[in-house]
Amino acid sequence: MILEAEGLTKSFGGLNAVDDVSLQIEEKELSSIIGPNGAGKTTLFNLLTGHTPADSGRVIFRGRDITELPPHMICRAGVGRSFQRLNIFPRLTAFDNVQVAVFSAQRKGGSLFSRAEKMLREEADEVLESVGLDDKKGVQGGLLAHGDQKRLEIGIALACQPELLLLDEPTAGMSPRETIETTGLIEKLARERGLTLIFVEHDMNVVFGIADKIKVMHQGRIVFEGKPEDVRANDEVQRIYLGEEKT
Amino acid sequence: MKGFLERVVVIKRLWLAMAVAFFVVLPFLIGEGWLSLVNEMLIMALAASGLNLMLGYTGMVSFGPAGLYAVGAYTTALFLTKTGIPFVIAIVAGPIVAGAVGAIVGWFCVRRTHVYFALLTLAFAQIIWTIIFEWYGFTGGDNGIVGMPVPDLLMSISHYYYFSLVVVVICLILLWMIGNSPFGKILQAIRENPGRTEFIGINVKRYQLIAFVLSSAFLGAAGSLFCGFSDSVFPDYAHWAKSTDMIVICLLGGMYNFAGPIIGSIIYILLSKLISSYTMYWMLFLGIIVVLLVLFMRGGIMGFISEKLSSKIQEIRLRGQYDTGS
Repeated sequence: MILEAEGLTKSFGGLNAVDDVSLQIEEKELSSIIGPNGAGKTTLFNLLTGHTPADSGRVIFRGRDITELPPHMICRAGVGRSFQRLNIFPRLTAFDNVQVAVFSAQRKGGSLFSRAEKMLREEADEVLESVGLDDKKGVQGGLLAHGDQKRLEIGIALACQPELLLLDEPTAGMSPRETIETTGLIEKLARERGLTLIFVEHDMNVVFGIADKIKVMHQGRIVFEGKPEDVRANDEVQRIYLGEEKT
Repeated sequence: MKGFLERVVVIKRLWLAMAVAFFVVLPFLIGEGWLSLVNEMLIMALAASGLNLMLGYTGMVSFGPAGLYAVGAYTTALFLTKTGIPFVIAIVAGPIVAGAVGAIVGWFCVRRTHVYFALLTLAFAQIIWTIIFEWYGFTGGDNGIVGMPVPDLLMSISHYYYFSLVVVVICLILLWMIGNSPFGKILQAIRENPGRTEFIGINVKRYQLIAFVLSSAFLGAAGSLFCGFSDSVFPDYAHWAKSTDMIVICLLGGMYNFAGPIIGSIIYILLSKLISSYTMYWMLFLGIIVVLLVLFMRGGIMGFISEKLSSKIQEIRLRGQYDTGS
């Protein structure tokens, strides 16, 4: 068990965004969290990564209680994440975006007088290549096309050398073709690097394509979990997702 | 392509060599009045570059750099007049004490962001100003401290000019190295997106505090140099108007460029002397300059130049590709 959460709860103004959620994630598992808008998926991610403090509950990563840790400590412990909304370093080049994360992962932040330009280039290049941005490394992050920025976002998360990677809608806003490409890329990266992956998605094709396990969230709770085929066959999930169509 | 890049590098070195040679022979070319003006520019360039480590690199808008500048100046002045310690040690003590005060002030300031951070820096600078202004017994109040026991060797204007040239160049090299180190890159990441920087495993507040302390130390060094240069210190050094000067210099030269504050201080000081020798409304012109900068040239002079230059370089590159392609 690489990650365990127990009774996580978070409410905003009386509304339970995440309501008593417990989950277990196995090592090297690719699991997905799905659910309609407002189901609490992003809030759950924010609780797991220290972005938002939980009202109650615990998060255990590799046997260590990380519930109270600040985000940078959780990242250092080996939990990386990407964001739903674009969240990169817009005026740094694509290369610098990734290199900065490599510096942090390799604990080079304390070197004040060595030339950054010449340090850990290969590591940064390797990450850029793995997300398919090696031909755009000199371009300012903020000037990249939307799909490229989403991939850069994944690159930044990867450069932190996480063991557990949380991706929040990695294909949001992408064209169908980009979505297929990126999905393949994520699966390949996770399997090659032996990562444990949790990702939030809207696109059911993406989810059924790569997930080993699927958790369905609805109104702040995990209402169902299981293999993709179980989820597909489950009536309750169908009802939550398709709502009025199936009455 | 490679040849072109190499040429750019060689030209850059050539420019640097020429600049150094220019500053070395300068005392033989111009009168003492102008030389002391250049000296003032050098010291201001150091102060503004020190501030820019926070402002341009880390994205922390400080309204109180003059407070720490004054701490450096008064430290040197007090050591020189109240104790018999050698001049060099009194100069070195300036940045150290300013850095220490910066650590205390910064510890409070980095707890807040944006406008609250800016207001805290302003408040602390005003506190420093008030202490200097009111504590007659120790700081001389609004009489300041006049008459530093500067060594005979540095009494002449050209000798002191060389002394500040060496100190400023060493400090600027240090600042350049910091800006281009992994630490400096992380500061830039914080400027671009502090929230995301947390999630690549960086303790943002700690980095901001270190940037605050380093920035304070360089501001203090500039203050110490100015204390020896002007042979006096006054509460004005800590006044918010002085802070405004430094911020406008960074804005004028360009915050996102290492050379920005240096170019900015040269032009700003020239302009202020020129304009105030013709009219008493320098502040009016200053206001107009700030308005124009913020509305039309947020990258400052260096930002403007590098924008023009990069499109030129792009043009040359494209032409090169076209030539080899055909």
